[in-house]
Amino acid sequence: MARSRRESVILYALVITVIVVLVFPLYWMFNTSLAPGTQLRRFPPVFVQPEPTFAAYERIFNERPVGVWLRNSAVVAVASTALSMFVSVLAGYSISRIRARGSQSIGLFFLMSRMLPSTLIIIPLFVSFRQLQLIGDLKSLVLAHATFITPFAVWMLKGYFDTIPAELEDAAMIDGCNPLTALLRVVLPLSAPGLAATTLYGFVLSWNDFVFARTFLVANQNAWTVNVGVASLKGEYLTEWNEIMAGSLIAMLPIVLAYLFLERYLVSGLTAGSTK
Amino acid sequence: MSRLRPGYASSDMNNMVNHPPRWSLWQPGNRHLFGYLLLLPAVLLTAAIIVYPIIAAIDLSFQKIKIAKLGRSRAPLTLANYEELFQAPEFYQAIWVTITLVAAVTLLSYVIGLATAVLVNQRFRGRKLARILVAVPWAVPSVMAAIIWWWLFDSSFGLINWALVRSGLSSEMIPWLSTPGAAFFVIVVVMVWKGYPFISVIMLAGLQSIPLELYDAAKVDGANAWNRFRFITLPGLRSVRGIALILIMLWVFRDFPIIYILTGGGPQRTTQTLAIMTYQEAFKFHDFGFAAAIGVITLIISIIASWFMVRRSDQPIY
Repeated sequence: MARSRRESVILYALVITVIVVLVFPLYWMFNTSLAPGTQLRRFPPVFVQPEPTFAAYERIFNERPVGVWLRNSAVVAVASTALSMFVSVLAGYSISRIRARGSQSIGLFFLMSRMLPSTLIIIPLFVSFRQLQLIGDLKSLVLAHATFITPFAVWMLKGYFDTIPAELEDAAMIDGCNPLTALLRVVLPLSAPGLAATTLYGFVLSWNDFVFARTFLVANQNAWTVNVGVASLKGEYLTEWNEIMAGSLIAMLPIVLAYLFLERYLVSGLTAGSTK
Repeated sequence: MSRLRPGYASSDMNNMVNHPPRWSLWQPGNRHLFGYLLLLPAVLLTAAIIVYPIIAAIDLSFQKIKIAKLGRSRAPLTLANYEELFQAPEFYQAIWVTITLVAAVTLLSYVIGLATAVLVNQRFRGRKLARILVAVPWAVPSVMAAIIWWWLFDSSFGLINWALVRSGLSSEMIPWLSTPGAAFFVIVVVMVWKGYPFISVIMLAGLQSIPLELYDAAKVDGANAWNRFRFITLPGLRSVRGIALILIMLWVFRDFPIIYILTGGGPQRTTQTLAIMTYQEAFKFHDFGFAAAIGVITLIISIIASWFMVRRSDQPIY
């Protein structure tokens, strides 16, 4: 694939243009977060901060409960992912391997549940949670997030289990394992990368939620997740954009890092059920 | 009982089998029972948090109630919500907004996403880094994507307004989010920015599954770049194209955070999709029965769309 000099120049120019256009909003976010408050309402805009300051970061941690919000997001993400992973590992394995009558229909149900509109399911969940006095409580989010993590996790995990040869379990059972210990001692260790990827993605899905957190926790500021909290920093008339950008950056950092690790797993996981 | 794992067989089953061979869950003939036991926790959980709520929502949509309370005697069955819905101009406006938004975002994301995938599939130095960078907006949470663009499109001090005025393209600052049309445009921009890397990533995976020999053979036969794209690349992407399109359409269809944060459905409902309308009717106007009726319509549309996706599983990859 030899390429002429002219073609190479065009190619690099295109690649660089695409990347600049795509990534510039993120740079602008970072740039704004380092700006002193006096500079935000003034033109022309400053593209490189001459005197970058972390004052906005300090302020959101000292004067706003960003630390508490981050902790809430993490607690909910860990709990809802743990709950979803427990049921999904078992169900994904059953659908992949045992294929008892009806389990394919259950698998299909999970596949379709991935597309459930959250704006519908939130209505009956709100009614139930209010009756159970869970509104304003992080437990309501743990359950609500399981409604979208579980269907994803079942299908991602089924995909990984499909790639592990059944002969390995047969061999383990000849060596004295029963089907359960074969699952625990042979299949799960071999699926460790898939388990890790699915767990991490469950965490990401929970962390990214807005609609449930906004609706169930709105009255209790100390229970807010970081997404709800950061969005609330936008004032009606006056917004300290450096603070909201600093908060947004901190809130999205763990997710962007997770994606760097997850990308290759996600392509196969997201399209699960379509090409098999 | 001692031979059985606790929790995996009931004791009365055990009492029935005193004669050899002793009943065991691990007998090959009982494999399906083991399968059902493994499914049980997931089925119970989803029955409680997915199936029951869906049934409750459908039930709610047939009752004329404002704020629903469990335990309170239910209101009589009525079609009033649906009758009201089908007579409401807002409903048809929301359908129109949903269709145009889904079409615009899907089309733009598809074209730009495919072009980007082809671009970073070329061989050049730094390709690995380029692939990571073009995928970055996909990783940005919707809430943060909305907030970043909110600032860029800010009516008083936003960078985009400054650039437009500075370059002479606009004579005054545009109040993007409070102008019908402009607000819709902003939503499209944010969604394409966040959505098209997703198409790129999926398309890139598809491109990499196309054997390079096909291109070499076509070149030998004298096919030009466009024909190679048309007769090798596009058919080679068939397996991933459908799924990518359906996933992005459903994402736009169901989106809540981007629209809610940027416009809340306004101005004058010009960005109010069915999903946003469902939410606003329930949690802004506290009309739960009516909201549930819209939600049920969105559910039906989602089921039809995902059914198309599932049906594709019967097709061979190539």
